[in-house]
Amino acid sequence: MATQPSPRKARRAAVLGGNRIPFARGNGAYAKASNQDMLTATLDGLVARYGLAGERLGEVVAGAVLKHSRDFNLTRETVLGSRLDPHTPAYDVQQACGTGLEAAILVANKVALGQIEVGVAGGVDSASDAPIAVSEGLRHTLLAANRAKTLAQRAKAMAGLRPGDLLPSIPQNVEPRTGLSMGEHMAITAERWGITREAQDELAAASHQHLAAAYERGFFDDLVTPYLGVTRDNNLRPDGGVEKLAKLKPVFGKGQNATMTAGNSTPLTDGASTVLIASEEWASEHHLTPLAWFVDAETAAVDYVNGDEGLLMAPAYAVPRLLARNGLALQDFDFYEIHEAFAATVLTTLKAWEDPDFCRDRLGLAEPLGSIDRARLNVNGSSLAAGHPFAATGGRILASLAKALHEAGGGRGLISICAAGGQGVVAILEA
Amino acid sequence: MTSVTTLSSAPDLRRLYATAAFHRGNDRETVPDERVVLSGIRVDLGELADYSRLCGFSLTGILPLTYPHLLGFPLQMAVMAGDGFPLPLLGAVHVENVITVHRPLQADDRLDLAVHAQNLRPHRRGRQVDLVTEVSVSGVPAWRGVSTYLARGAEHPDATAGHPPPLDGLEPVTGTAPGPVWHLGENTGRAYAALSGDWNPIHVHALTARPLGFSSAIAHGMFTYARAVATLAPRVPDRGVTSRVWFRKPVRLPSTVRLRSVVGPARTLSRLESADAEVEHAVLEQHW
Repeated sequence: MATQPSPRKARRAAVLGGNRIPFARGNGAYAKASNQDMLTATLDGLVARYGLAGERLGEVVAGAVLKHSRDFNLTRETVLGSRLDPHTPAYDVQQACGTGLEAAILVANKVALGQIEVGVAGGVDSASDAPIAVSEGLRHTLLAANRAKTLAQRAKAMAGLRPGDLLPSIPQNVEPRTGLSMGEHMAITAERWGITREAQDELAAASHQHLAAAYERGFFDDLVTPYLGVTRDNNLRPDGGVEKLAKLKPVFGKGQNATMTAGNSTPLTDGASTVLIASEEWASEHHLTPLAWFVDAETAAVDYVNGDEGLLMAPAYAVPRLLARNGLALQDFDFYEIHEAFAATVLTTLKAWEDPDFCRDRLGLAEPLGSIDRARLNVNGSSLAAGHPFAATGGRILASLAKALHEAGGGRGLISICAAGGQGVVAILEA
Repeated sequence: MTSVTTLSSAPDLRRLYATAAFHRGNDRETVPDERVVLSGIRVDLGELADYSRLCGFSLTGILPLTYPHLLGFPLQMAVMAGDGFPLPLLGAVHVENVITVHRPLQADDRLDLAVHAQNLRPHRRGRQVDLVTEVSVSGVPAWRGVSTYLARGAEHPDATAGHPPPLDGLEPVTGTAPGPVWHLGENTGRAYAALSGDWNPIHVHALTARPLGFSSAIAHGMFTYARAVATLAPRVPDRGVTSRVWFRKPVRLPSTVRLRSVVGPARTLSRLESADAEVEHAVLEQHW
């Protein structure tokens, strides 16, 4: 008779640290670097920082949002080109801007289940070295010509080509189902929630001030490795106050109610990040101190196509489910890391949690989640200042929050990241 | 007394090649005691990215082991094109190269280059000479390359052979790991020439290679060597490394070649061979 295997008890997964390259505005300093170049440099930086050269890790999980077809095995190729033991397995994930945090959830879960002892989660994106595809017309023509067996068939297939088919297809930052850009979607949500231009500019200015202050006090010294002559995120404007932001013209939304500018929206950015996650035992064997524990995570999605919800509102749904499962209130956190896709995204999410109608009708809560202490929000800057290389943002936030919790001598942090396709990825760290 | 020529910018290789046919060499027994130096140069990130892409290096911000050779090559040419240099400029063949990396060079380092010739000596099939390229940063030596060039001429049957390639270790393991295979197109020489400035006619086209005794264009040795180094780079430390290559039979273009390697804890040993393993193109040894 077969014996029933007893389920293994879950254990704690520790965030031991991270490494990223400075994020650079698109078509600038990293214009000639590929995703694989940046991810390799970032992974090798992590390997150097934590003495992992030649080590076989449980796995490396990473991804990119803008991806060339040749990069189908991007992370494995990166591992093979890195100083890790080539016997380290790897795979790619892709969940739009949630990629980096989702990769970390996967690694942390495997560590928690005892399937691996240590892994690296990461992400990379290049808005500069973007893939350009042939048009659908040309693609179908070429495939038909390739299937043809005779010269005549091939000629017939090629004759179907139209001049317009020769234009390349350049990736666009729009939702495939709505044809609206992410900014246009956000502008609709921001207007509905009455998010003011002033509030957005204040949040953007604070992001720059916090990031600049964090660099000044050396916070990023063991989180960032210079790359191609860039030593700091080059979107950072330490002297950019609210006054300067107020002068910018709106780029998303229409008419008088247009509030979203290039200053309170994230720019297209190139960069990569990695995070080292391990079991307590592995950490102690390698004389590494856990910065924080990966407690729990949740993902959510909203129907932004036909339903009545904004594209970037999914984290507003994910967080209350995560809180309920862990028996926590929104106020039980020392740090809040809400990804600044747009200043309006953060402000809308916070406003929704304060709104009794939204919390009752949409979240099914008797009471609103309430407000947070804004002094605990994005204390070391976020995407508006650092920039947002889509898949690399999760790793940036995770490593920074883990370090902030460790520096504070303990505490609890909440991460919230919105993603294309109406998705949200959120997580809790504790130290 | 060493004469030092200080350049303010890299010599124009096109001009050097245009007049190359006039540098026919002479029968002097020694090389001129001369150093050519170029100080404070910065790597162009665009050129570094193109080189990395062509040769298979990751663009990590640390210069590939072979990259400083590219920077020193115009200075080598300037030395070899100097009055009184004993070997002819055209038709000289790169037979051996040794690179020692003392410390890794960053892409944004300011590099000081110095090149001199030494050790003119007889070879079975002519005469050979070493061109030494030294790279330092703020006075600290970082990188040293020794390129050995052979000019075919009067034969010296009793010339002592150089350090022979250590092939023994490679034999038992060939066949286990397939190693990478590279399809090198007819345009390979031109692609590398465009990056390196090394427009030596033997690399450019069959028509320009024929007058110099080759039936087709041949790949730059430093290109196939760089691809091999790039493949092995993740397994090799970035400092305290000596990398040596012996160029055996030229790679005729187009060609399909394979790199077979043994990677040990302190050494790599590789053989670049034709796809059918009949022709040995190069042997590469790196130790640290």
